[in-house]
Amino acid sequence: MAALDALLEHPALWRGRSTVPPAGTPVWPSGHPPLDHALGGGWPRGQLVELLGAPFGCGETRLLAPMLAACGQAGYRIALIAPPATPWLPGWQALGIPAERVLLIRADADRDRLWASEQCLRDPAFGALLAWLQGPVEIALLRRLRLAAAESRACAILYRPPQAAQQPSPAHQRLQWQPAGNGLRLHSLKGRGGWTRSGQPLHIPDPQPLPGT
Amino acid sequence: MGRPARHSPPGTPPPRHQLSLIPDTSPLPAPEPSRPPPPDATGHDHWMAVELPHLALEQLARSEPTPARGTPLLIVESGPRQRVHAASRAARRAGARPGIALADALAVLDTPHLVDYDPAALHAQVERLAGVLLQFSDHVHPEPAAQRIMLEVGRSRRLFGGLEALREQTRQTLAALGFHARIGLARSPAAARLLAGLRHPEIPETAEALRRTLGPIPLQALPLSAATCEALQATGLRRLEDLLRLSREALAQRHGAELIRLLDQLLGRQPETLPRFSPAAELDLPLRLEHEIHATTALAFPLKRLLRQAEAQLRGIGRSLQGMALELQHRETRTRLELALGEPDIRATQWLELWQTRLERVTLKAPVIGLRLHADRLLDPPTTSAALLTTAPGDHATATLPTAPARIRARLGNAAVCGLENRRTPLPEAAQRPCPQPEALHHTDTLPAAQGVCGNAFWVQEPVSIAPPVAPQPLGRLEDGWWDHGHDQRRDYALARDPHGRRLWLFRCLRSGRWFHQGYWG
Repeated sequence: MAALDALLEHPALWRGRSTVPPAGTPVWPSGHPPLDHALGGGWPRGQLVELLGAPFGCGETRLLAPMLAACGQAGYRIALIAPPATPWLPGWQALGIPAERVLLIRADADRDRLWASEQCLRDPAFGALLAWLQGPVEIALLRRLRLAAAESRACAILYRPPQAAQQPSPAHQRLQWQPAGNGLRLHSLKGRGGWTRSGQPLHIPDPQPLPGT
Repeated sequence: MGRPARHSPPGTPPPRHQLSLIPDTSPLPAPEPSRPPPPDATGHDHWMAVELPHLALEQLARSEPTPARGTPLLIVESGPRQRVHAASRAARRAGARPGIALADALAVLDTPHLVDYDPAALHAQVERLAGVLLQFSDHVHPEPAAQRIMLEVGRSRRLFGGLEALREQTRQTLAALGFHARIGLARSPAAARLLAGLRHPEIPETAEALRRTLGPIPLQALPLSAATCEALQATGLRRLEDLLRLSREALAQRHGAELIRLLDQLLGRQPETLPRFSPAAELDLPLRLEHEIHATTALAFPLKRLLRQAEAQLRGIGRSLQGMALELQHRETRTRLELALGEPDIRATQWLELWQTRLERVTLKAPVIGLRLHADRLLDPPTTSAALLTTAPGDHATATLPTAPARIRARLGNAAVCGLENRRTPLPEAAQRPCPQPEALHHTDTLPAAQGVCGNAFWVQEPVSIAPPVAPQPLGRLEDGWWDHGHDQRRDYALARDPHGRRLWLFRCLRSGRWFHQGYWG
């Protein structure tokens, strides 16, 4: 019996109804306790996560600030692939994200963006990757990226337009976000754990802006 | 750690080739009374002669691993009477031999591919390979005229596990670069040359073994003038042992000092001093292509060979590099491409991968007829091996320099990867500047206080005038200072949500009272 328990505890074993990812899956803290709980500890490392929504600038990048800070302070690089605007790194630095760890990668075509993402995931120096995609992408390319993410220790975040929700995706986790009142509403479209099954949205309030000095 | 001690300093006395024991004039002095050979200490000199018989052909690179069947190739010496210098296997099978007139070769061959014989290029190639062989010995002496490289290996034999292992390793090193070598090993340079030319497998380590090995060698194989050779034949001498049985005086009297000197050199009784080779301080590897190349994908094979040679040469001279240039030579023009790495690396596989992604972006203006690899900044190799760092597991990888940016630059262009450097100017739109080498960025200090008053927005843009927002949340005031260049730049920063739900980063210009959109809060 003990042997069976040990077997069931094995992290490589997938059990359809398990509510929480196996303990020991490395995560980056999300900084929001309810979100941490829903994600099973935090933003998962070694996984591909899609964030679907529009328009750019509703707070969907600030949502990741605690994760990026933890990642940068651990000495990892952060790749920003084709962001729609220029990051203002003094603002990032004020949130604890080391500016010199942030790398900006420019690429026009979605194909190139996915290729560059894969290169970064295959490089152990990177701990987090944020990539913005514009249109529909080939499933095969996403599958490659999922594979690269699974072999890495980085958290790969893909920002995609909301229409992409209609297209199936091999990503480990798919979250749809919407601006709502003074924060963001997150739906889990795909992922392990109880959040997806419950269908309940999660409301993440905006952090209060730091008053100027 | 460039090894200055390895190469002869400029003030070294010229080599003493002519250390003749016997003056050319008669009467002959008494023969050296049984000059005892130097004791057989392990430190005794051993010479390796590396002959490159097919250099002229092997120097040309093919675009594919197997040569196109049936197209014979001739290297042609120009001059009043064009002669075949070397012929490929296909050409030789058809009856073309080195040395015959080109007209004769053309008579037997069906549309052969002709390449001009270029002695200067061969000379340079021998010297480059001498640089490669520096990894086996610190005393290397190229003899370009004979397409041969001499190495003193007496001291390195133990390091490489014996002379036989050393010979094998040398052979393989050259074979990996595409060169076939004939190697002879003996106690004297002259004997090593002789054995190499004869493809003699024996390695005579003692004086006695050397005599035994040389004995049966026919006299025609010796580098003697035709007249001497004929005279020897006429006296009924056939083999080297016949010569060694005769007395020195008789030989000297009959055939002159040249023969005695050769015998002494062969047996190591007369030292032969060969100057040391010091390699060039930069890497410059040209490669002529056998055929024109029209597609960049076809460049991979010759490029691999070039990079392997670069790696071998850098290994030989103990240097490393971080960047190199590749020149694609066309008939009229040339295309120059450059690549740089985050850290020094000499591995051909690593560079090849980068060049391949770089070449994918290149469209050839014209067919490529040659390649040239160039690097003028050679570095001391890193003290820790690159492999040690990159295989560090898990979270310890944090000290590693990222390798992905080099790959991304190679494919998407140098401007594709950048970091942002803080210029410490409070105006957000001017606060940062792109930094092309973000891998090298060091930790930034604390933020200037003035940058904090604008709030910690995530995304910035050039200010765009907008209508006054509804219910802005004030952030702070950016006061006047040195940065405004005389214009009133006082701004009140604020945060607002637009009808789409976006959180805008705004400011109100105090001078005009108008609102500007500066970026996104996140």
